[in-house]
Amino acid sequence: MNVIETSGLGKRYRGTWGLRDCTLSVPAGHIVALVGPNGAGKTTLLHCSVGLATPTTGHVSVLGGLAAGSLDALERVAFVAQDAPLPPYLPVAAMLDLSQDLNRRFDRRHAVDRLRALAIPLPRKVGKLSGGQHAQLALALALARHPDLLVLDEPLARLDPLARHDFLAHVMTAVAENGLSVVFSSHVISELERVADYLVVLSDGRVQMAGMIDDLLAQHQLLTGPAEQAARISELFPVVQAREAGRHAELLVRAAEPAGPPSGWEASGVTLEELVLAYLRDPSVSVLPGPSALPARTRHEVTS
Amino acid sequence: MTALTAGAVPAGRRHPVPWRSMARATWRQQRAALIPLLAVSAGLALAAVAGELAIRSDYARYASGCVPRFIHASCGAIANTFAASTDGFTALVIALHVLPVLIGVFVGAPLIARELESGTFRFTWTQEIGRTRYVLTTVTLLAVVVAAVTCALGALLGWYAHPFDVVGVESRWQAGLFDATALTLPAWTLFALAAGTVLGTLTGRIVPAMATTAATAGGFLVAAFWTLDRHLLSLGALPARATAAGGVSVGSLNTNSGPGFGPAGSWLVRGWITGPGGRELSAAMAGTVQNRMYAAMTRAGKKAADPAAWLSAHHYGYWLSYQPAGRFWYFQAVAAAVLVALAIVFALTTVWLIRRRG
Repeated sequence: MNVIETSGLGKRYRGTWGLRDCTLSVPAGHIVALVGPNGAGKTTLLHCSVGLATPTTGHVSVLGGLAAGSLDALERVAFVAQDAPLPPYLPVAAMLDLSQDLNRRFDRRHAVDRLRALAIPLPRKVGKLSGGQHAQLALALALARHPDLLVLDEPLARLDPLARHDFLAHVMTAVAENGLSVVFSSHVISELERVADYLVVLSDGRVQMAGMIDDLLAQHQLLTGPAEQAARISELFPVVQAREAGRHAELLVRAAEPAGPPSGWEASGVTLEELVLAYLRDPSVSVLPGPSALPARTRHEVTS
Repeated sequence: MTALTAGAVPAGRRHPVPWRSMARATWRQQRAALIPLLAVSAGLALAAVAGELAIRSDYARYASGCVPRFIHASCGAIANTFAASTDGFTALVIALHVLPVLIGVFVGAPLIARELESGTFRFTWTQEIGRTRYVLTTVTLLAVVVAAVTCALGALLGWYAHPFDVVGVESRWQAGLFDATALTLPAWTLFALAAGTVLGTLTGRIVPAMATTAATAGGFLVAAFWTLDRHLLSLGALPARATAAGGVSVGSLNTNSGPGFGPAGSWLVRGWITGPGGRELSAAMAGTVQNRMYAAMTRAGKKAADPAAWLSAHHYGYWLSYQPAGRFWYFQAVAAAVLVALAIVFALTTVWLIRRRG
């Protein structure tokens, strides 16, 4: 089952495309990180998949074919928007009541236990909570709906390092307990690897890279060798990023099969951060597994 | 999708609307506006009750001695007392006209605009209830509450106004009381609430929504006072030859009947004079006839002052067009139906805007 599946998805806002020709399949059972520069379409993609935005072109479905935003989908998808907007004038306890009234499946005890553990006082007004408490409240409300898919838009953006750590720990505990799928967008690349096991890179409204993080790391190598041989190496491997320092060249290449480095060259692994940054630096790089590979894979999955 | 997860939530089944929990949710979110509204309404209700109690004994004396015939020597004095005690009554009528506009501005306008402006719609519209049902149930529940409250206030005002109406100091047909009955007051309130809701949805910001709602609801109310009510009440008015015992007025009247002037309890739309041939006289001719008549009556002295006798002696006829008392609630229903129809159009537009938003 794919928790999010899009085909040719596009969204235009007053003449400019926020998302274009986005074809993507996110399999279930993962914590998926959605990264990309500002304006890449991350929020648009997430809003389309929870029904807040209506696609201009293409289709988006969730949890194995439910129309995004339909009542069947809303029942099983929980969403925390960027900055987690909640009515500031309501006390935390009233937010629990409100969520209970708007959701039949709301597990109040679950949320209360979580808020107690975080020492968030129930009588306090939402507007008086700290940034970390606010984010945690929004997450607790979303998780108490026991969703099959949790969608988080920039959940870490306004949190300090400690709050980030606590927030991610909360997410990972829920995943371990309930086996839900999580999709979250983030600017913070350095902390992704600890949490996410699946990566989607969006750039300029298109999917640039998507796959299991372990696979992506295994498929890329950093080759270091003499600069004059760099051109020859680029014929052997697709180069994501090339750097030259004096007589040495450093090439980040995609090697589909793990193979020994060419003679005179040294191979080393890449970190996730290096990999993501390399792709983000040059949005035109269409190296596999880029968007060109995805439609074929999607069709295959749909027909099987 | 695997069979296991599909079994837990069968797709395509019906999702019943949870009215009870939506009522709680609506109260939770709107109580900041509803509590002051209910307090103001309770204050207005108390004012109506206090006012009615204050005139009760005078009215009892009037009702026993002066209805149906205005004969008792003290009747004029009692009527004058009533005429002198309308200040509080008038203030209440004005307050009841402001109330629908206030409800539109403070309940209707922020209803959606606040969610759009603060971004909380991203929370409420992604809950299990779904955005259409969330908005529709919220608007419906608020409409029921404000309609019930203002219906009660309109009924109370009608009860308080009844003595003034009988004495002839005020008329339930008059623009003012006509727009604040148990039918029209809730209709105006629903109109203002729905106008505020749709303007809030269109602007997406609270302050512009409140301003445009005040202008729209207030403007429409003023237009009703100015001209709309008058046009409505002239529709299908009945012509009748009048006795002219209470005087002769020609042209647009728009006034309540009085002793010797029009059928009891009716609303007089227009008066005119017919010539010996039975045809209506022009305004200039009618003016000439009136001048001759009043001159003759002045010469004849006070005791012989009977306009009806003078008119018939000179083969003139005096006519009135009027709405009989029995049509009052019919016109009330028409006015209320127009306002409620507009409110429904606004509400459906709101739902349409919200469904296609995104």
